[in-house]
Amino acid sequence: MEQEVGESLIQLGNSDGSESSSSDPVTRVRKLLFRRMLVGIKDGRFFLGTFHCLDKQGNIILQDTVEYRSTRRSSPSPMEQRCLGLILIPSSCRISCHVDCSVEEQLSLLKV
Amino acid sequence: MADNPVPGEASMDGHSPKLASIPASDSTVWADASTLLQAACTGLRDGELIHGDNFNLFAAMSALEIMDPKMDSGIVCTYYSIDEAIENGAAPIPISLDSTIDVQRTIDIMDHLLACEAAWHKGHSLAQTVFSCIYLLRLDRTAPHALLHSYCRVIRATCKAVMSVVSDARAHEEEDLFAMTYGLPLNGDGDDKCLSMLNAVEETISRQLRACKAASSKRRLSEDLEPLQSNPNLEEGFCKALLCRLRFRKHFFHVLACMKRPQGRGLESARKHIASCMTELDSILKSADFIRSCFGESCEGDIDDKTTASGHEPIGFDAMLNSRLSAPTPPRAIKILSWKKAVEYFVKLLHDLDVICSYPLDPHLESLLRFVVQFQKSQPDLVARSHLQLLLVQDGKLYGRDPFFAVITKAAALPEATKNHDIQKNESILQLGMLVMNLLKILCTNTAWQRRKHGKFLQDWRVIYVQLELAFRNEFGEVSSGSNDENISMKIFQHILLWVEEQTYWIAFRFLILGFELELYSTSEYCMVYWYLYAVLTKLAEKTHLKIAVSYATAKRKGKKKKDSPKDLARESRIPPAVLFLQCYLCLSEGLTMILAALRNEILVFQSPGPFNTEQEKFVQHFELLQRACIPDHVSYPSYKESTTHARFSTLAMYNYFKDAQRIAKEVKSSFSNDPDRLAELRKLEQVAEHNSVAQNLICRLGALDPSLKVSFELSHHPFFATVVVKRS
Repeated sequence: MEQEVGESLIQLGNSDGSESSSSDPVTRVRKLLFRRMLVGIKDGRFFLGTFHCLDKQGNIILQDTVEYRSTRRSSPSPMEQRCLGLILIPSSCRISCHVDCSVEEQLSLLKV
Repeated sequence: MADNPVPGEASMDGHSPKLASIPASDSTVWADASTLLQAACTGLRDGELIHGDNFNLFAAMSALEIMDPKMDSGIVCTYYSIDEAIENGAAPIPISLDSTIDVQRTIDIMDHLLACEAAWHKGHSLAQTVFSCIYLLRLDRTAPHALLHSYCRVIRATCKAVMSVVSDARAHEEEDLFAMTYGLPLNGDGDDKCLSMLNAVEETISRQLRACKAASSKRRLSEDLEPLQSNPNLEEGFCKALLCRLRFRKHFFHVLACMKRPQGRGLESARKHIASCMTELDSILKSADFIRSCFGESCEGDIDDKTTASGHEPIGFDAMLNSRLSAPTPPRAIKILSWKKAVEYFVKLLHDLDVICSYPLDPHLESLLRFVVQFQKSQPDLVARSHLQLLLVQDGKLYGRDPFFAVITKAAALPEATKNHDIQKNESILQLGMLVMNLLKILCTNTAWQRRKHGKFLQDWRVIYVQLELAFRNEFGEVSSGSNDENISMKIFQHILLWVEEQTYWIAFRFLILGFELELYSTSEYCMVYWYLYAVLTKLAEKTHLKIAVSYATAKRKGKKKKDSPKDLARESRIPPAVLFLQCYLCLSEGLTMILAALRNEILVFQSPGPFNTEQEKFVQHFELLQRACIPDHVSYPSYKESTTHARFSTLAMYNYFKDAQRIAKEVKSSFSNDPDRLAELRKLEQVAEHNSVAQNLICRLGALDPSLKVSFELSHHPFFATVVVKRS
């Protein structure tokens, strides 16, 4: 299932290169819904969950989220995790955002 | 857009190792989507969202907002972990290299821990109170510091003991944070040795105290002992301050252990330890002056708000380290009790425990119930209530000693011999025993919970009554002849049936009056509440009277063989004091119902004007549980309306119920001369009756004529019988 979605995204990415109208980022972000997303925030924590929603202000809602935190300020250090469920990450505290994808797919994603 | 710099591999492969330690799934990688998201945001119209088909705005509202201090319990504050806090010197050992400062800081920690413990008892989570102490979280580290180590150990063992009492009693439903210990190192090895450790430290310090006293009086002590700290001027004060703190912990731990002993066997020794605890608490309070003086500089702020005797912030506490453990509750900013308030709390707790320990374990249910109700009036906290409950019900027996059937037969005024009768194996009788046990447990819970349970519980009592009656009919039919043994069984059934009814109405009565304590009734509803109270009390008085009459009859039949004293005869014809007591309640309820009804009918006050609920709906809301259990029979909203619509000032003038109440209260007082609680209650009743009697006369004379007259009802003299206050505006 995951594989199929991946392929379709690649195709989309390829064709997007030629037709600028369909490379609309909104459409492409919509394709990312239900994917695993990893969001890092200011205080050093990471949240891994299913991408659920994005608004104009850049706030993200993740579903079935797990929180990861290091046990020390200096890295590398062991990680601690706990389940949080449905969370909203305000754009103001977000510093990184990654989605789970295959290597090929990654190239098309990066092309903005 | 295409010209935007590509975030590139750096943000992905060269990202901090943290990202690498959270692996994507097999054969996939984490691709940076920040830029894409940013672009999408620009492309979105105002208010537009990107979401899937399963999106539901309402559900999304319940998402935890990260970095919101009221929702996100995981916000990283000063430290990422306990270990990091320790590495950064947040909880050093020794606390200071200067031995004087070390002792001072240790005392601060002890005081703050006491405040934390009180805050925990008062309903905050253990993680945010006692276990905000880093030393406690890593207890083994403190081993080189004998003083701190022994204190922390006894604290941990005490917490565990208190926790087990409360969770065994299951009295904490409404205070459910209390028993949450997930992730906390509450169970440590060797806590059984905590007392011997504490004793050893206590012994050392008392020797140091002796040594310093000897030194000041120029005597030489043979033993070669290092002083507690380096400043000889402060040695005595510090030794004393530490000793009372250590001894308090020791005795408090003993109190808990003694109270746990089965069948109340440890109560006497518990009382001795309670007395010692009180003495030590007193010394702790007195030590504050010395502790504050030796710090030299005065600390800013009100000393009464501080969590330590010195007024200084203690070292080694961080409530945020554990806040994640308090999930699933949202992180709440909690306020630790001040040190003074904490000491006050422990004084109250010990006082409540002392009341429990001094109870003579009376096997007579009626006086026991009265004791528990009276105990609850002092508003004991969770820990004291749990202890009481565990004492009352152990191994399915009263005090772990008397089987509940024996307790019931005694309460139902049956002869001693019946307590071993085979009838106790009857299914319904067994269930009745369970009900009595539950009644005792419920009486030990907090007021709100108690009332709710009482309400639901009434139906069970009603059902058991019907079952018993049925069993009674099946066994004996309508005829009452039979062998002697059958007669005994029949008598048991009769007595028990009567007693169950009386008990049911008593619970209904408690249910109604707890509503006053919880402030559930508004003045506009007082009329129906007092009317219902009147209806329940009528039945209660009737059943009590009947029960007493039957028990006299039984006693008399027994005594007949000896002689029929004229005194007994006189006694029989008189109404027993217990019933008169209830009649005093009755008169007050009836008087208040009538005066309220008359006021409503004549000058249209205290009507329920609410735009939402009709009076009938309110009636149902308040008494639904009673109505469902048919308590009492044939009582309904129409019958309430019927008995109150005709009340007028003119009818009030004809009969003054308050005068009756006042007379009865006065009369019956002499019968309770050796029962201070009921005597105090009667005095209050008399006061209310007297006030209301005067007020009623005034209202009757002036009420309809004088529109400037303002009447109000206040619970100023009695917790549930209102005083009528008449004022001219």
